[in-house]
Amino acid sequence: MQPILRLEGVNKSFGGVTAAKDVSFSVPPGEVQGLIGPNGAGKSTLMNIISGIYTPDSGKVFLEEKDITKVAAYTRARMGIGRTFQTPRFMQRSSIRDNLLLGTDLADQIGYLKGFFGKKGKPFDEELEELMEVAKFTFRWTDKIDSLPFGQRKLLEIVRSMLGHPKVMLVDEPAAGLNHKEIEHAMDLLNMAAKQRGIGVLLIEHSMDMIMDMCSNIVVINFGEVIGQGSPEEVSSNKAVIDAYLGGDLDD
Amino acid sequence: MTLKNLATPKNIIGIIAIIAFVVIVPQVVQGFAMTIINVALLFAIISYGVSIMLGMGGQLSFAAVTFMGFGAYFIANMSTGRLGFVIPTFLALLLTPIVFAGVAFLIGLVLLKLKGTYFTFSTIALVQVAFTYFNNFQPLFGGPDGISGIPTLTIGSYSFGNDLTAWFYLICVFVIIGGIIVERIRRSQLGRSLASIRDNETAALTLGVNTYLTKVIAFSIAGAFAAFAGALWVMHGRFVGAEMFNFLNATQFIIMAMIGGVNSTVGIVIGALLVRGLPEFFRGFQGYMNLFWGVSIILLMVFMPTGLAGIKDVIVDKFRQFRVKSRKGDDDDATNTKA
Repeated sequence: MQPILRLEGVNKSFGGVTAAKDVSFSVPPGEVQGLIGPNGAGKSTLMNIISGIYTPDSGKVFLEEKDITKVAAYTRARMGIGRTFQTPRFMQRSSIRDNLLLGTDLADQIGYLKGFFGKKGKPFDEELEELMEVAKFTFRWTDKIDSLPFGQRKLLEIVRSMLGHPKVMLVDEPAAGLNHKEIEHAMDLLNMAAKQRGIGVLLIEHSMDMIMDMCSNIVVINFGEVIGQGSPEEVSSNKAVIDAYLGGDLDD
Repeated sequence: MTLKNLATPKNIIGIIAIIAFVVIVPQVVQGFAMTIINVALLFAIISYGVSIMLGMGGQLSFAAVTFMGFGAYFIANMSTGRLGFVIPTFLALLLTPIVFAGVAFLIGLVLLKLKGTYFTFSTIALVQVAFTYFNNFQPLFGGPDGISGIPTLTIGSYSFGNDLTAWFYLICVFVIIGGIIVERIRRSQLGRSLASIRDNETAALTLGVNTYLTKVIAFSIAGAFAAFAGALWVMHGRFVGAEMFNFLNATQFIIMAMIGGVNSTVGIVIGALLVRGLPEFFRGFQGYMNLFWGVSIILLMVFMPTGLAGIKDVIVDKFRQFRVKSRKGDDDDATNTKA
């Protein structure tokens, strides 16, 4: 299957620290691809390189086999790269509704005048109802975003990203800080994104249960380098991966 | 939008308050005080621009005063025949926001390459450079003597002249139109894009917001507001001198917006009336006014960051809490309090 997102020999260093060293992997559509590694391994740096916040020192990023290495971050978002952050980033002083409208703005691509005349665009369409159902949300859309608990905001960020109709979703530690129920809802949302909508999901996560459960393929990085790649079974039996991440040497 | 949607209690109270203000003020105020109110309302239009830049987009720009100057000198040059031609005042007034939206767009393209505080400092530089030109460049700006004998606004055969009440009505119309535009921008995609930049520029980028272009457009709209108000101001006062456009006056519009509430359109109008009106009531203390504003800003930022408009929210919140409490008292089983 033709990958939807592909990295080719990506290098990035900050001063003397190498954050990415000759990283190559690809994300197929309609699947959840795991990206794991110890803290500081360079996972978030890769996210930033893919979404265009950082430019790689060398190497290329392809979206549907189109070279987007030099494309601006906002254009990449419009081309179909959606993402969420480790700590959700919203317009703190705005309502939930306005925050979600930002997602629909991205999908609609009408322009700055959208909503200037006539009625304020409604996010309460069928699509949102469907997503709400999956995420099990129970709040009023007019509430301020900071009235929501942390876990709900993280789920809402996934919803906002999906409302933007991305082709690829970069999801950064969706389970961190969530309770058991909320983790289930997050997994439902991501499965829906991949299986029903054919979005290629790149999932960074420390919760091994979630990774092993959801991912068809896993990329393991350490010190900015890919040290293992394959199905959950292959990865969990890979010697280098076990040393670096999963178990380490128990004799220590 | 249907009429039914518009007839909310909040809107009705607002419309009654606006009508009352427009009807009552000319009855009780005359002469010099009327001039002060007219100028204050013109300055409110300029502060609308501050609201768009600072309130929505989180970008602090001092350039409003310079664009006010551009608008004023534009009218002075177009309508006095200094350049060898005259265009009708009404036409010149309509041209002003269009021309200076364009000028502000070009200046914004350059200045907004800088971010945050660096951008703010670049606008201060713009104010100083423009002031120097206003004060020294004879051919366009009349030098330190300024330009006098500017004709008043004439629409068709009606001339506003020195009829301060007529000016008041006209300015009120523009304050209301301006307010509607600001409110519409706030709920449009432009307003949302600006708010996303204010709260997190990286997140805005990943949501497809062209942060640079969005800020330039906001700067351009703010410039158009300021130039338009400057044009009205010069036809109202009939004289323009460079002194008005120095840095001290640049801070004035920021103070107006912050005192009233940088995200509240009504608050800005109240803020403008206060900042222009209070010094006239306390003429004896004029030397202390800047100290007063400085202390006010600090106190507001600490105790009421949303300005006077924030008082309303505080009261509404208190009222809500009170209602929720009393309802809880009525029904102890109520687990869902939908106040």
